[in-house]
Amino acid sequence: MTLSKDGAADCLCEEAVFKSVFELNFKAVRNFLAYRYKNSESADDMAQNAFVILWENCGSIKPVQAKQFLFTTAIRLSLNVIKHNKVVSNFELQSRPKNANSESPEFLLEEAELKKQLEKAISALPEKQREVFIMSRFEDLTYNEIATVLGVSVKAVEKRMHLALQSIRKILAAV
Amino acid sequence: MNKENKHYLADWMANKITDDELKRLVTEDEFLQFKKLRNDLEKFETKTPDLEFNFNKIKEKMAHKETVKTKSTKVIRLVQLTAIAASLLLAFGLFQTFYFSNKVTSDYGVTKTVQLKDQSKVTLNAKSELSYPNQFEWNRTLKLKGEAYFEVRKGSTFTVETAQGTVTVLGTKFNVIVEEDFFEVHCYEGKVLVVSGDKQFVLTKDKSVRSVRRAFTLNESYVSPLPTWMNRESSFVNVPFDVVIQKFMAQYNKKVDYPPAFKSVKFTGTFSNSNIETAVKSIAIPLQANYSIRAEKIVLFE
Repeated sequence: MTLSKDGAADCLCEEAVFKSVFELNFKAVRNFLAYRYKNSESADDMAQNAFVILWENCGSIKPVQAKQFLFTTAIRLSLNVIKHNKVVSNFELQSRPKNANSESPEFLLEEAELKKQLEKAISALPEKQREVFIMSRFEDLTYNEIATVLGVSVKAVEKRMHLALQSIRKILAAV
Repeated sequence: MNKENKHYLADWMANKITDDELKRLVTEDEFLQFKKLRNDLEKFETKTPDLEFNFNKIKEKMAHKETVKTKSTKVIRLVQLTAIAASLLLAFGLFQTFYFSNKVTSDYGVTKTVQLKDQSKVTLNAKSELSYPNQFEWNRTLKLKGEAYFEVRKGSTFTVETAQGTVTVLGTKFNVIVEEDFFEVHCYEGKVLVVSGDKQFVLTKDKSVRSVRRAFTLNESYVSPLPTWMNRESSFVNVPFDVVIQKFMAQYNKKVDYPPAFKSVKFTGTFSNSNIETAVKSIAIPLQANYSIRAEKIVLFE
């Protein structure tokens, strides 16, 4: 079976298509919920439910619309979920896979230190900025997509992103 | 700092502005820090949840939902759809073949001739109604209210259904009258079978059967090549007066008031279907009655 890139010819009801949509989007949806609600367990659950609902509507949604649908559904599903303890942030980073030759002990140590600093700086962001920053940097959503998902203007997203970068730079510079 | 663009860092991150443009907006130190930050961020990613585990969970949830929904899975739904579609098709076919979807009615005072697909011909007398199926060649069955003259082409069984009985023929000419409490079949050619309730009559040329309030009489009498109404006249032999009046009303769409005593009269005679005054006279004179023709009705009195 062929997966055309825009998915126009494919139907989400075909399991292979559905699976590829799952692989492309699950992480982003799940993590978005986790950061927003600071509860990774219910984030898993809600993200799964969003995909179940996507499957149930597979006949009427094109693969290209799936991402938007998933986020909208996830937000709707999460409306009743009470946010977890706001102080605790479970935001965690991991190193991207890289070539082995750079993994000297010094490098690893340096990287571990950097990771900690970034995590700290990102966790310290005001919630709205952090949300935008993470979605943009780590979940590969465009400003437009973020704006639609959050129901705010693109300008607002850009502003939050700008402020987030400012404040992360300041925190890191102060170390 | 640029007052116009309050989100230049966002633009820079998204490669909407270049390094050089950013340099003009921030200090040299800041620029280097942003550059390092962007570079550092590239090195990290967020944790990817266990995709296989989550996909299996989703499948479980889907399976669960589908069993909960009284097994209305897509497959079953498809089977149901197919069944519905098939039965609709079948029903439509039967409907087309057997449903009396063609209806012909004749108004007051007019006759109407219907040429059927099998080349049979039906002439409706005034105020009558005939219905027959679309695929008439396959199912020569008609329904009649009122009066009609049939000229039937030879072929399969040809049936006229009425509220008071059925008339079955193979190929012939006959006239049927169906009114409330009055039913008459007159055979002009060939042979017809009349079934009404548990009674059966076989009529040959010039024979007729009549039922007045379910009492049957066989007649072999009147000789005329066609029912008289086909020549714009209505003829009656010993017909209950109320049936005659019904026939009159069918022609002229006028109410007729008459003394109760006339009800028991058996009328023999003919009236014109084209001239109301002659027609009224034709009815009144044999009864030695007077009449007045008003705008809204006809009144007969002794």
